[in-house]
Amino acid sequence: MPLSEALRLALQAIWTSKLRSFFTLLGILVSVAFLIVVVAIIQGMNSYVSGTLTASMIGINTFQVRRGPISVGLLDDEQVRMIAKRPLVTVEDAETVAEAVPEAIAVALQSGWPTPVAEIRFRDRTMINVTVFGITAPYQAVQDYTYLAGSPLTDQDVNGRRPVVALGHEIADKLFDNPLSAVGRRVRLDGRELTVKGVIAPKGRLLGQSFDSFVLLPFSTFEAAYGRRKTTVVSVKMPTADAIEAGMSRAEEAMRVAHRLRPGEENDFTVDKADAFVAFWKQLTSMLFTAIPAVVAIGVVVGGIVIMNIMLMTVNERTREIGLRKSLGATRADIRRQFLVEALVLTAAGGALGVLSGWALAFGVSTFTPLPARITLWSVALALAVGTGAGTLFGVYPASRASRLDPIAALRVE
Amino acid sequence: MSALIRIRDLGREYRMGDERILALRGVTLDIHRNEYLAIMGPSGSGKSTMMNLLGCLDTPTAGEYWLNGEEVSRLTDDALARVRNREIGFVFQTFNLLPRATSLHNVELPLVYAGVRGRERRERAAAALDQVGLGHRMDHRPSELSGGQRQRVAIARALVNQPSILLADEPTGNLDSVTSDEIMRVFTQLHAGGQTVIMVTHEPDIAARTERVVVLRDGQVESDRVNRGAAA
Repeated sequence: MPLSEALRLALQAIWTSKLRSFFTLLGILVSVAFLIVVVAIIQGMNSYVSGTLTASMIGINTFQVRRGPISVGLLDDEQVRMIAKRPLVTVEDAETVAEAVPEAIAVALQSGWPTPVAEIRFRDRTMINVTVFGITAPYQAVQDYTYLAGSPLTDQDVNGRRPVVALGHEIADKLFDNPLSAVGRRVRLDGRELTVKGVIAPKGRLLGQSFDSFVLLPFSTFEAAYGRRKTTVVSVKMPTADAIEAGMSRAEEAMRVAHRLRPGEENDFTVDKADAFVAFWKQLTSMLFTAIPAVVAIGVVVGGIVIMNIMLMTVNERTREIGLRKSLGATRADIRRQFLVEALVLTAAGGALGVLSGWALAFGVSTFTPLPARITLWSVALALAVGTGAGTLFGVYPASRASRLDPIAALRVE
Repeated sequence: MSALIRIRDLGREYRMGDERILALRGVTLDIHRNEYLAIMGPSGSGKSTMMNLLGCLDTPTAGEYWLNGEEVSRLTDDALARVRNREIGFVFQTFNLLPRATSLHNVELPLVYAGVRGRERRERAAAALDQVGLGHRMDHRPSELSGGQRQRVAIARALVNQPSILLADEPTGNLDSVTSDEIMRVFTQLHAGGQTVIMVTHEPDIAARTERVVVLRDGQVESDRVNRGAAA
């Protein structure tokens, strides 16, 4: 029997019992859709993390000199103890780095972990949970901040420990009816009176988290109020991404000299770039990527068993037809092909519908939730391959069972 | 002239647990081209076994079966399937049509397995339906046809691949007497046109319309006589 004939028969059989066919392929459908959606979300997050998030947190074309690496979350206790022994990063370190990397667009010092959370008041309005950063003036260049109103913090503000503050857009928006009118007003940050110097243009909101709910203080003003942080960070913004590596190695050299480290002695600081943050994220998602196939595999196996079960039932119901076909000259291969193709068409349909629903779901997720989602071709290919693979695997047994039926006995079945 | 069917000491034994049942014990029979023959016998006589062996649905445990010059008693399943496709046209008591397929498609089935494709297949199936007088019912499904019409579709299906033998198993068993008569006339016509027809039946008035009657009893040929009074 030619394949086209088997295909026609399969489509006919599936179409005849539409509802049953649908429920049969539901397992495969759900597994495939799940695979597509989850992979789409992770991929979406990946591009978001390596693009937007990294840029907003660290800055574009930027590397950092820090006390510890960026991916703190995945360090073991021993490493954490080692880092705790390291000296704090200081203003002098920032100067050392700036000298070593003269081509840098900006070298900034910023307060790091633990980031203080403060209460800010203007007249009768109060906002709590405002994150406070202490920075040197170049930090605003590192972060590519633009000011909607007023002016950036300056070296004079830092050197003079001036009581001024720059407001993130969300803060200005909530404290003042018109955020542009904030400049020159006096606000109270944890009780300290500060003059608003500027309002920073919004960077947006992603993953439900605002990047505009912060205030910036001159570094000196910050330290006077909150003390030195445990992880002060030097950020170095380079003119191009290609320049980062060279800048990093010169910064490391200069830091070793400044810290009087002997050859062979380990660094008592870390030079890291955004990649480290991305790597940290990738490490997280790679765990997901190992868990997902397992979940999908279970779904597909269950779906495959359902298909096998239904195919066995179909073979049973059509015993007489099989007997008849054999009496008319169908060989075992003919019968096997007929039922295998039917199982394959079922799973392929399940896979295709799964891809479609996965696609629709991913689209819905990226449209109606803050989670980004991006469909990737390989996940679609994998899903379809897994689906049809299951069809073949679980279709073989019912098909070969059908092909081995004795025509006499099969014809006698009522 | 060599026989179309040459059977020598054919035996078929079944095992049911420890018990051995000899359904056929040494049947010897020659059937020539264009014979019109009935195989009769009470139930348990081995008539069904004989029919299965003749139709190459089963293989004997003893003896030889030569069909159209080929020994078919020792063939594998798939080889037997090809012999059935080429040499044998089955007509069943219960018609055995595919309920969801049209008459035309039902008749096309043997050609599907013979590897005949496309237009040729449809044309040959249509011609076979014409031959049994159902050229105007090609797009009907079995449920839209009367019993007699269904059996005609089945006969067209049996004929479509131009088999050596038309093998009918109680072909009128599910039909009323008027329709039976109509179907028997189709067989008589086909025989007149040169077709070899073998009919397994337990009804004497059906057998009476054939030209030769073989009666089986206890797995052996009890009588084999020419039917002088057969209606031509």
